Amino acid sequence: MNSLNKHFFNPFFSHIYVETAVLEHPRTRCILSKFPDANVIEIRHYKDVFCRSRQRSTWQHRSQKLILAAKQGTLVYEGAPVCQSFGNRYFYYVSCAMNCVFDCEYCYLKGMYPSGNIVIFVNLEDIFAEAERLLQAHPLYLCVSYDTDLPALEHIAGYVREWCKFAAVHENLKLEIRTKCADTALFEQTGPHPNVIYAFTLSPQALIDAYERQTPALSKRLLCAAALLRTGAPVRLCFDPMIYVPGWKDHYAQMLKQVYDAVDMDKVVDVSVGTFRISRDYLKHMRKQEKNSAVLWFPFQCDNGYCHYPAPLMEEMERFLTGRLAEKVSKEKIFRWKI
Amino acid sequence: MIYIFTALYCEAKNLIRQFHLTKNPENTRFQEFYNEKSGVRLTVTGVGGTAAATAVGSICTAYPPAEDDLLVNIGTCAYIRSADGQQSSFRDREGIFLCNQITEQTTGRSFYPDMLYRHEFQEASIVTGMSPWNAGVDRVVGRDAGCDKSEDGLAGCDRAGTGDAGCDKNRYGGAKLHHAKTGALYDMEAAAVYQSGAYFFGPHQMAFLKIVSDFGTAEGVSHGQVESLMEMNGDKLLAFIGRLRVISDYAGESDVRLTCGDKAVETLCRDLHCSRAMRDSLKQHLHYLALAGADVCLLIQNLYKEGFVPCRDRREGKLCLEQLKQTLF
Repeated sequence: MNSLNKHFFNPFFSHIYVETAVLEHPRTRCILSKFPDANVIEIRHYKDVFCRSRQRSTWQHRSQKLILAAKQGTLVYEGAPVCQSFGNRYFYYVSCAMNCVFDCEYCYLKGMYPSGNIVIFVNLEDIFAEAERLLQAHPLYLCVSYDTDLPALEHIAGYVREWCKFAAVHENLKLEIRTKCADTALFEQTGPHPNVIYAFTLSPQALIDAYERQTPALSKRLLCAAALLRTGAPVRLCFDPMIYVPGWKDHYAQMLKQVYDAVDMDKVVDVSVGTFRISRDYLKHMRKQEKNSAVLWFPFQCDNGYCHYPAPLMEEMERFLTGRLAEKVSKEKIFRWKI
Repeated sequence: MIYIFTALYCEAKNLIRQFHLTKNPENTRFQEFYNEKSGVRLTVTGVGGTAAATAVGSICTAYPPAEDDLLVNIGTCAYIRSADGQQSSFRDREGIFLCNQITEQTTGRSFYPDMLYRHEFQEASIVTGMSPWNAGVDRVVGRDAGCDKSEDGLAGCDRAGTGDAGCDKNRYGGAKLHHAKTGALYDMEAAAVYQSGAYFFGPHQMAFLKIVSDFGTAEGVSHGQVESLMEMNGDKLLAFIGRLRVISDYAGESDVRLTCGDKAVETLCRDLHCSRAMRDSLKQHLHYLALAGADVCLLIQNLYKEGFVPCRDRREGKLCLEQLKQTLF
């Protein structure tokens, strides 16, 4: 299929759909100015495009389109039970963009969303206002890069900078920006903030090659994480999700060696470990889309609506990694996801 | 397979010739032409939304499309305005348009085919109405009361959708036809073809190609003129459809299948005395193994060679299946 891309598919963001309500929004104008050749199509509501039935996200990922919209309804969500709270009591997340420029075969977004296109909500100020309302009641641990990879969209939306500015003036806010991005220049520009944690998702290079299409190499992610650590920024390393492949132990052992060579583990805020798990409904949808994916067609064990590796395998994989990590990182810094 | 739908025979004639299509005499309701070798099935639907929707539904029920098949609606249309509201000359608007937004005039609903594939055409939004467009007389008006109408009579409702979670239906209301870069076309079938086609195809599988025949004077356009327009643009249409076929063929071939085929798996199921649940579980494991690159045929052969199968009864079959699963990890 890759060979088809260049000759048969439109370039990324060749078309930008814009809700009528945000057509004149300054952020819309700013984003559109970055795509002077794009066809701009005015739409009534983003779901008219994003939620069409029978979409094929695997095809759409060959030529992703951008949708600019206004976020309405709930603006800040409570953290989901399958997500790691890292011991934070007030665990919330926001969805200021939906979907990702990266194309990871196992990504739960492909099960959650009916489309492979990217939505950016331009009314970020409304989300800030809601976060401020919550901050008046209690401190907040807020994950801003769950339903997307925000740093990877920075050249379009600029939201990492915006969130960093917001965090700088709210001491009782702790942000997590999760990413597979390796844009060292961006992180240097945003500078270190004590309450902004950059969380890098790491996988063995063999798995990146096989399943994390268009993502930066492990070595680049590590370089970026190391550079951030040197500036004093809080950095989290996420070995989550761990993916089963034959020979997984060797792959993960090799990855850890690379991590230890590149990153000063004493400076890392914490690490998370978890094997691949997903809602049964999401998995069903993803299997329809990715019919040839060994990752998704693994014969999972399903409990209470969630699918995961068979308990003995899950235990073995997570124990292996936490055990190895414990050689370098104190145990209280290792967060292992539990069912 | 590419499913082509045109409203008129004169729109289809050149395509029938270029693709060497043969008429299917068994279809007495619609004129249907096909060529299995070239992977094209063309249907002349008749004029208007009802005819178009019926034809699409009828053909796609008779020949259910596969996941990698594509629907292409080809036809002539009127050109009703440019993006800046200026009337363009016909010369500026000649050629083929690929529709990126289809609005149904009666309901104001809009539909969006995916714009995934490279093409050399201009793009435009199109409005589908119930009767031919008469310039200077007709107005494209949305259904919702309270929609603002612009000077040219095109409805433009400023109300944004409410965004209910999980809703996958378009909002009703007056359609705002303005497309930021190009103008709007008018035909009588596209919205119906899309809506009927959506029962069988995803938005990535549908393309709507229109050639401008007039500026709202359809009664003055003869069949001969339409034929000549289609001929003039025939090569470009052919090239685009050819590219779609390459994509369709490639996608169809890329599914991983068990090399030993369904028969060997069915035999194994029988010899393991599988219940329905065991059968499903076995098939899923074998599918995973195939995707993971294992030689499933060899694995099945070894089960027989080592005497694990055939099993005497289901109990023994269950044990054997569990052993097989253990070999996975």
